[in-house]
Amino acid sequence: MLRLAHLNKVYANGACALDDVTIDIEAGEIVTLVGGSGCGKTTLLRLVSGLEHPTSGTVSVDGEAIFAPHPAIGMVFQEARLLPWLTVAQNIGFGLAHLPAGECKDLVEDALLKVGLAGYGTRWPRELSGGQAQRVSILRALVTKPKVLLMDEPFSALDALTRGSLQDHLLALWDAHRPTLVLVTHDVEEAAALADRAIVLQPRPGRVFADIRVELPRPRDRLSQDFAETKRIIMNALDGSLSQPALSKNNAGATAGSWW
Amino acid sequence: MSDTQTIAVATQATPRKQRGVPSFVYGLILPVTAAALYELAFRMGMVEARLLPAPSRIAETLLKLARSGELSVHIAATLMRIAFGFGLGAVTGVLLGVLTGSSITARRLLDPTLQALRAIPSLAWVPLFILWLGIFEPSKIALIAVGCFFPVYLGVMGSIANIDRKIVEVGRAFRLSRTALARRILLPAILPDTIVALRSGLGLGFMFVVAAEIMGASEGLGYLLVDGQQLGKPDQILASILCFAVLGKLSDWIIVIATRPLLTWQDSFARSE
Repeated sequence: MLRLAHLNKVYANGACALDDVTIDIEAGEIVTLVGGSGCGKTTLLRLVSGLEHPTSGTVSVDGEAIFAPHPAIGMVFQEARLLPWLTVAQNIGFGLAHLPAGECKDLVEDALLKVGLAGYGTRWPRELSGGQAQRVSILRALVTKPKVLLMDEPFSALDALTRGSLQDHLLALWDAHRPTLVLVTHDVEEAAALADRAIVLQPRPGRVFADIRVELPRPRDRLSQDFAETKRIIMNALDGSLSQPALSKNNAGATAGSWW
Repeated sequence: MSDTQTIAVATQATPRKQRGVPSFVYGLILPVTAAALYELAFRMGMVEARLLPAPSRIAETLLKLARSGELSVHIAATLMRIAFGFGLGAVTGVLLGVLTGSSITARRLLDPTLQALRAIPSLAWVPLFILWLGIFEPSKIALIAVGCFFPVYLGVMGSIANIDRKIVEVGRAFRLSRTALARRILLPAILPDTIVALRSGLGLGFMFVVAAEIMGASEGLGYLLVDGQQLGKPDQILASILCFAVLGKLSDWIIVIATRPLLTWQDSFARSE
C-alpha cells in the first residue's frame, strides 16, 4: 500500500542520510521506525510526506508516486505546530477549508469529543498544555481522513504519564478509520506499545537494520512478560544497529563518502 | 496550605478588571495632579508665570483659538499632512518590506541602498525637497513620508524574516497554494509586528510634521509654535504642544482599537499595555 523503494538521500553537504532503504507497508499497519540519532528516521518520514525529495528511489501510495505533499498523507510533527491565531477548532479544521462550515464544525466537534477535549474548541492554542496541543495536532492531521498518517516523534517532548495516555488516544483514533500509521520514535517502550512492525534503522548511512513483527494482541498489557520480551528484542536490535560498523552491503565502491 | 490558596486566588484575580476603575484613569493621575499643583502655586503667587503660564491661562488660550475657528484650521492642516505623508510612507514601507522580506534577490538588490538612505538624517532632505517640490504641501508631505517609511519598512521586513519556518511547513503539508499560504499563514504571522511598525511610523510622522511646519507654513499646529515664539506667547506654544500630545495619543489609540479584534489571540500580557 505504502511502498518505499530504494530510497537514497544525500544532502547538499555530502552527508548521506539514507542508503538504499526499501520498505513495504500494508494498509492499516502500524509501523514504528526506531533508531539512534542520525539514522535518518526523520529524513525518511519527510521523504514519505513529500516535504523533501529523495536523491533517488521512489515513494508510492497505492501505486501513485509521491513527489509533493499529497491529500492521502497526513503529517504530525514533533512539536504541535498549531497556528496561534486560530482557535483550537479552527486549527483542527485547517485542512477542511473546502467543506461547508456546518459539516466542518460537526467533524471538528466530533473529533474533540473523541480525545476528551469537548468544549475546548473556542480556546486559543496558548491556553493548552503540551499534551492537549499534541492531541489537537493529531486531530488536525486525522480529520481529513488520510490513508497514511506520518508522525515524527510526536510524544517525545511529553512526560511519561501523558505519553502513555496519548498513545492510548492515538490507538483509539487509529481504530476508527485504520489508516496506515508510520511513527518515528527513539522510545523502545513506545515502539512495543504501538507497533505491528518495529523497523530498526542503523545510522551513518541510514539503512534498515531489522524488521521486527510484533504479534501482541491489543490492548497490550505493558506489565506482561510478552511485552517485556518484545521490548528486549527491539532493544537488542537497537544495540546491534548502533555497534554495527558502516559496512557497504554489496559494493565497496559506494563507501567513498565514509572512508574517514 | 492557606498560603498556597491565597496565591492561587491572587493570580486568578489579576487579569480581571481592577474593581470598576477604568485603566486610563491611572494615566491621568500624574499630569492632572501636576497641573493642579502648578495652578495652586500660581494662584498663591509662589511662581512668576510669565514664561510658564498657568494651566488655566493655557486653557483660556485654547478656548479662544477654538472659538475663533483658528484651532480647527490648524489641526486640520496638520492632520491632513500627516494623513498623506503617513499614508504614502506606510504603503511604500509595507510594499518594499514585503518585497525584500520575501525575496532574497530583492533584499540583496534593494536593502543596502535603502539602509544607506536610512542613515541620512531625514531633515537633510528638506533643502532638496523644497528645491524639487516647492515650499508648499508636497515638500512637507514628502518629508513626513520619508520619516514614516523607514520604521514601517524595517518592521515589516523583520517580521517576515522572523516567521517560524515550522509553521510555514504546516501550510506546505496541507498543500496550500502560494496565495493561500500568504493569506492563511504569512499575513496573520506578520500582523502583530506590522501593527507595531505602523504605530512607530505614525509617531515619527508627528515628529516630522512639526519639523516641516516650523520651517515654513502659514497654518498648522507647528505654525502656532513658531508664531507663539516670535510673538512671545508661551501660552500659545503650550496650547499647541497640548494639541500634539492629545492628537498623537488619540491616533495611536485608534490604531490599537482598530486592530485589537485581529490580535485577540495574542497573550493578554502583550495586550495589557
